[in-house]
Amino acid sequence: MSVDVFRKGGFDFSNARRNAFLEGKGMPLPKATSTGTTIVGCIYADGIVLGADTRATEGPIVADKNCEKIHYITDNIRCCGAGTAADTEYTTAMISSNMELHALSTGRQPRVATAMTMLKQYLFRYQGHVGAALVLGGVDPTGPQLFTIHPHGSVDKLPYVTMGSGSLAAMAVFETTWRAGMTREEAIQLVAAAISAGIFNDLGSGSNVDVCVITKDKTDMLRNYEMPNQRVEKERKYGFRRGTTAWKSESIRSLIASETVVPVAQLVTDEMDIS
Amino acid sequence: MADGHQHPIEHRFNPYAENGGTVLAIAGADFAVIAGDTRQTEGYSIQTRYAPKVFKLTDRAVLAVNGFQADCSEFVKRVMQRIEWYRHAHSKQMPLKAIARMIQTMLYGKRFFPYYTYNILGGIEEDGTGAVYSFDPVGSYEREACRAAGAASSLIQPFLDNQIYFKNQTPAPGAAPFVPGNLPIDVVLPIVIDSFTSATERHIEVGDGLEMFVVVAKGRDVSQLASLNAEEIPATNPGEERVFIVRRELKKD
Amino acid sequence: MNTFVSRFAPSSSVIPNSRGILADEEEEFSDLTWGSHAGFGNLGTKGIPTFEVPHLADPSAFLRMHTDDYADPNCRIKIQHGTTTLAFRFKGGIIVAVDSRATAGSYIASGTVKKVIEINPYLLGTMAGGAADCQYWETYLGIQCRLHELRNRERISVAAASKYLSNLVYSYKGMGLSMGTMICGWDKTGPALFYVDSDGTRLKGDIFSVGSGSTYAYGVLDQGYHWDLTDGEAQELGRRSIYAAGHRDAYSGNTINLYHVKEEGWDFIGNYDVTKMHYDGPGNVLGATGGGYGYEIRAAGRSASDADAIDTSA
Repeated sequence: MSVDVFRKGGFDFSNARRNAFLEGKGMPLPKATSTGTTIVGCIYADGIVLGADTRATEGPIVADKNCEKIHYITDNIRCCGAGTAADTEYTTAMISSNMELHALSTGRQPRVATAMTMLKQYLFRYQGHVGAALVLGGVDPTGPQLFTIHPHGSVDKLPYVTMGSGSLAAMAVFETTWRAGMTREEAIQLVAAAISAGIFNDLGSGSNVDVCVITKDKTDMLRNYEMPNQRVEKERKYGFRRGTTAWKSESIRSLIASETVVPVAQLVTDEMDIS
Repeated sequence: MADGHQHPIEHRFNPYAENGGTVLAIAGADFAVIAGDTRQTEGYSIQTRYAPKVFKLTDRAVLAVNGFQADCSEFVKRVMQRIEWYRHAHSKQMPLKAIARMIQTMLYGKRFFPYYTYNILGGIEEDGTGAVYSFDPVGSYEREACRAAGAASSLIQPFLDNQIYFKNQTPAPGAAPFVPGNLPIDVVLPIVIDSFTSATERHIEVGDGLEMFVVVAKGRDVSQLASLNAEEIPATNPGEERVFIVRRELKKD
Repeated sequence: MNTFVSRFAPSSSVIPNSRGILADEEEEFSDLTWGSHAGFGNLGTKGIPTFEVPHLADPSAFLRMHTDDYADPNCRIKIQHGTTTLAFRFKGGIIVAVDSRATAGSYIASGTVKKVIEINPYLLGTMAGGAADCQYWETYLGIQCRLHELRNRERISVAAASKYLSNLVYSYKGMGLSMGTMICGWDKTGPALFYVDSDGTRLKGDIFSVGSGSTYAYGVLDQGYHWDLTDGEAQELGRRSIYAAGHRDAYSGNTINLYHVKEEGWDFIGNYDVTKMHYDGPGNVLGATGGGYGYEIRAAGRSASDADAIDTSA
């Protein structure tokens, strides 16, 4: 009997043809959770500020009202993800692992450019099928670094960047207000304003503002920095009377097991000798 | 053309768009509530935060339209014109059931080039009862106690089925059976508001503002509406049915 | 009265040709639309309904692209489909039974649809396929049947009414109408039943069932049918047949509407909840044999839903 000992790594495409056939027959594929998303980043005097909204969608339905889109890469590098939620999550987690291994084998703190190179090579290899659009930011010995990485593997290096369906709304804010050498507070306010522009003007983005400030010495993850979209209280209480659901028969069984323990031998009460 | 074609080949003629939003209507014993959000979208963009989808037709009829905005506004315009012609020809306002039938024939008149509109008509019948009529885009219609249509209809309708039609609810032992369409106005309006705030939470195309039209039968007590900041729309024939409008804000993200 | 009739009467043949019924614009308003006859709104100057079609080489392909949710589940305009309807002739007249579910794709658009269209006190039509097509054309058929009465001083025969409808839909063949209907009534010949569909098929018969759940309904119907059924037995057979379809067909269900056509016209017998039929049955009505149609039969004996019967001592 032959056993398939050797398995190629990477993705399994064995259902691709079948799924294309089914799609042609009019059976839509299940929708992946997508982070419609506004994600941004900008450089300021002492480092990097990253920002993200917290809405995840499945088509027109809000799947998660408070998800996290700023992913950990290393202590001094973070990555915002837009696109297919599973792809951004898995890709950043994998690169995070590889960055840690890289740090252990080289004995140095890896640079943001290293993460950027690993990400773009990975995304290019899959020709856009891994749907991750990323904003990568961090501070390393070369100073603050900020990149965007597109799903096909292309990279931009800019002082302020936006990504996702709300990128135009957010970029409008950056283009009118950003300037070089802003203070920490100014940069946080600007990023929050850019994300808010996405939250209110782009349907794919919504709920809260997450902010992350990275400096040479430390990284501050300001989760739910602003919460401008709190749920309003309902007008009515929707409780149901006990017995609302119709039933056909009733049987009540006791789940308490009563046991009688009969000792078969006297336990040794002295302490065990372990010498 | 180089390949000898006389006309460019038409690959896909698509005169329709989807503009999001949701409408609903609930009938009471002697009133009807017709409501809609005011957001208009295309794709991931908000075209406007205030585009009314609910229109007063007569003192006793209100129409909610949803779907493709251009078809909606065109259709409402034509319905209003026909209703005015009727008033001139008969010196009376068109009855609700007559408007319903007229809407059917107008929609069916475009059976082979449909209006992309989902219509819900609400108001007061000639016998003084509250009524809701719902239509499909080509004119099939039915009188109901409640109906939700549009983007979030599949989120709201099950809720209405449970709260208005009492689906999956058994009355308490010895209690009278539930009768749909008899809830008081101070229960119906909160249900409408909760429907829209919930749809706003989970549907990206619903939000911004809420307009609720309340049509009340002749002589009905309207004191419950005062606490809701209801604004009366001046009637053509004072002393008959009255139409009120209640506005609420919805979330804007 | 004669001028009234002539205003509505088509000038030559009864069935308008395709050129006459397709208006280029909706603008051709006659005095009919100015008020007094505004009820049937798109009746044009000749009393014939007019329809606007898109200015395209193939209008029906356009319509199919935007409305046919079978060919394209993502199409925007969802037209309601799905049904079980049945009608059968027997000694005591005709039983007409239908479900009340309308579906748009996998969404239950309504559970309270009236699928029996009361054309007039002696004629019933059933609805399967496009809800609007059936509602509109059977209402239109009602107008024509009334005009027939006014012209000829007698009621139209079921054969003539069904043929009128059949010829009418045939003139729209290929345009995308979707109807599968049974025209039921009582005329000089006694109870009469015809099946008419939008392909142009017209059949006279004793038993018909139409719609996605028809195979389930036929199963029960054929098993229990014979000519000499009493009124009660026949009504119970109609109820049970639609119940079977509502139980097994995802596109049918909610409630049953039951009609009985007799010599003095049709009678509405009742509306029955399919779920209630499953558990409790129709209650104390004519023909009822007592008890639910399904639950007890399926749950009796050793099954998980009958917890008391499970032997826990072993």
